[in-house]
Amino acid sequence: MAVARIKKLELYVHKSIIDNVLASLQKVGVCEIISGEQGEGSVEVSTGELQELDACLSESRFLLRFFDTYYVDDVGSMARALGERPVKSLLELASLARDTDITSLAEQMRKLERRMVEIRSELSQIESLQLMLAKLKDFPYALELVSQGTETIRGVLGTIPVEQFSEWNDSLLGKAREDVEIYVAPYDDKAKETWVAAFFLKELEDEVQDICSRHNFSKIELPAGLIGMVDEENSKLTARSTELKDEEEINHRQAAAAAAKNMQTIRALSDYWSVLKSRTEVLESGEYTDQIVLLKAWVPAGSVELLKEELSQYEELVELLFSEPTNEDDPPCMLKNHKWSLPYETLTRLYGAPKYGELDPTPLLAPFFFIFFGMCLGDGGYGLVVIGFFAYFLHKYKRMPSGTKQFFKLFVLAGIATVIVGALTGGWLGDMVDAFSFLHFLKPIKDAPVVLNPMNDPMTFLGISLAFGLVQILFGLFIAFYDCLRKKDYMGAFADQGGWLLLLIGITLFCGVLTGKVPSGLGMVSKVMMSAGALILIFTQGREKKGVFRKALSGILSLYNITSYLGDFLSYSRLLALGLATSAIAMIVNMLSTLVSGIPYIGWVFAIVLFIGGHLFSVAVNVLGAFVHSLRLQYVEFFSKFYKGGGKFFTPLCYTTSFVEISEASKDI
Amino acid sequence: MDLLGIMLAILGAALAAGCAGAGSAIGVGIAGESGAGVMTEDPSKFGLVLLLQALPGTQGIYGLLIAFIAIMKVGLLGGGGAVSINVWQGLGVFFACLPIAIAGYYSAIAQGKTSASCIQMIAKRPEETGKAVILPAMVETYAVLALLMSIILLNGIKI
Repeated sequence: MAVARIKKLELYVHKSIIDNVLASLQKVGVCEIISGEQGEGSVEVSTGELQELDACLSESRFLLRFFDTYYVDDVGSMARALGERPVKSLLELASLARDTDITSLAEQMRKLERRMVEIRSELSQIESLQLMLAKLKDFPYALELVSQGTETIRGVLGTIPVEQFSEWNDSLLGKAREDVEIYVAPYDDKAKETWVAAFFLKELEDEVQDICSRHNFSKIELPAGLIGMVDEENSKLTARSTELKDEEEINHRQAAAAAAKNMQTIRALSDYWSVLKSRTEVLESGEYTDQIVLLKAWVPAGSVELLKEELSQYEELVELLFSEPTNEDDPPCMLKNHKWSLPYETLTRLYGAPKYGELDPTPLLAPFFFIFFGMCLGDGGYGLVVIGFFAYFLHKYKRMPSGTKQFFKLFVLAGIATVIVGALTGGWLGDMVDAFSFLHFLKPIKDAPVVLNPMNDPMTFLGISLAFGLVQILFGLFIAFYDCLRKKDYMGAFADQGGWLLLLIGITLFCGVLTGKVPSGLGMVSKVMMSAGALILIFTQGREKKGVFRKALSGILSLYNITSYLGDFLSYSRLLALGLATSAIAMIVNMLSTLVSGIPYIGWVFAIVLFIGGHLFSVAVNVLGAFVHSLRLQYVEFFSKFYKGGGKFFTPLCYTTSFVEISEASKDI
Repeated sequence: MDLLGIMLAILGAALAAGCAGAGSAIGVGIAGESGAGVMTEDPSKFGLVLLLQALPGTQGIYGLLIAFIAIMKVGLLGGGGAVSINVWQGLGVFFACLPIAIAGYYSAIAQGKTSASCIQMIAKRPEETGKAVILPAMVETYAVLALLMSIILLNGIKI
């Protein structure tokens, strides 16, 4: 139940073989290196190498990102996450790294990318120019007049609000009738703005500008390259854009070809370099003398032999010293569970690690989570769907990473629980057997194991839910009691946990006597337990406070906590609510299917679609709800009694990869 | 057959589905906005973001559920034809729908806000996903309790 024992390792290594030793450590993957302050001399050892690796890694990241758009992967990203990765050995990877000139490849691709960006921006520029030229289709002069002007003449081009046009026109012509000419692009009645141009003698430029700015004229600058007639320029632009598009097409093909050729290599290499990097970084936490490097690490007690065996090849060039962690140390924690509770470890991981030496809550929550998920989903048919779905993935991807594998197994188990609850409550895809007349022959089989139908008798099911809640809350308190005893905190055990245990059990019995569910002979016992529990709490809960009055006050006030226990207890009613929600939604799907099957001729098609779609939706929604809520009952109601978390997980130096699997890696840690 | 009774029951069903659904729509929307923001940075978080965005959606389903149970109660669904109920029974059905209508609306919005914050949280600390899923579930508790009460009340009305 407690977490695995961890030993502290002091590893003395001769400088000459440090790289090999680190490689061995990474291979067995059972050491978490303690990073201390930077030892002297460490910097010179590693910095150069690290920088080189970082450079390679950043090039490979760029290539991965760049190729990603062009690469058609035959293995989906999900399949890869589920373990479909090529297996490579470190030796292969090392020779691959030697043979690949990543810098020049990255340089080449950067150039290609830059060119593609340029093309794209030029294309969009051309597009906007062409949009503008389309408006000026019958512009009578060469565009040179506007874009460059001649020796004596200048032109402006721009847009102006339609209602201001005539005013602008008049004031320009009024200024100098002979020296100004005006062009208006054709516009329809609805247009708010129109394109206009004015040509005038160079000397008039300031005045024209003045008039323009008074009439909301917004000037458009033409690129100096546009000099010919509109049609001419337009076709030039079209030609240019075709040219660019062709080039873009070629570049695309080049990138795709490069991606197809190099993607696998780059992926493998990026993994290789990150493996090397994590190894090299360890050097920074070593302590150095002239000859010797000292590394400190955490090693699970169970893996000590394995480590010794692996390092025996270096004979007297390494020295291992194991010791028990002291109080000042803060060792990481490694959960160690039996096969049956292993899938539930995921749930503990989601919450956070226990501190070293504390209890591992995994086996304690496992049976409750199993039952609660079953009750929340509570439908045999849905249970089978869940089992089928996750078992299929487990079967298809055999090399799944162990965390994912356990998570999937968790759902298979949860599905089994659901089938059991479904059988006991008679829920198979809701009331499918009763709803469809052609399935009536199954009714005897369905009804045989049924003990309770929550739709007809919700109050009994509510009672069962709350009873489970009571059991879990008391169990949680009991674990806290045991934990205090284990740590020899007798006051905590008997005063805090014991007081509440007595009080809560007393109240439960008393309620049982009142409702006649418990023999009335126990009435006296229950009253004694209640009073004893309450008295213990009143006398002990103020023990931290000074003065009789304060002690008494906080003792009495502590009884107010009964409301939080009541809240926790009632919270378990969600088991009923979610169970009912599942069967009701399923029932509604069945009912709608029956209704639409009444449509003549094609009704049955709709009915099948509705039936399958509706139930799939219902499974998805209800599995999410069942998971989240049964998890919440563990985290909030159960853990609050005894579990604090606050530790950190054991993260050994090992091969952490995202694209390939390293063949030397030891299979199970 | 008392029409007013039936109509009151329908009003209840309409409020249950409508209010709880509206709340869920707002809640899912709030969470979705936040999720889109996070995914512009890191599209690979889609799965987690979708999970958190879906959480405030349950109120709408609870409301729909109560609405269905309510109209089945008065025989409007299921082909049997409407049963005869009096005004008081109709009023009872109407009242029984109120818990999920009210708590569904407000809790879905509150849950949406919590989900949105939790989506921000996993953007920065992906390792805290477990906690990020639990915080919105704390809010949903009250929708579940309201659903429970609505079911029990509807179950208790004799028609």
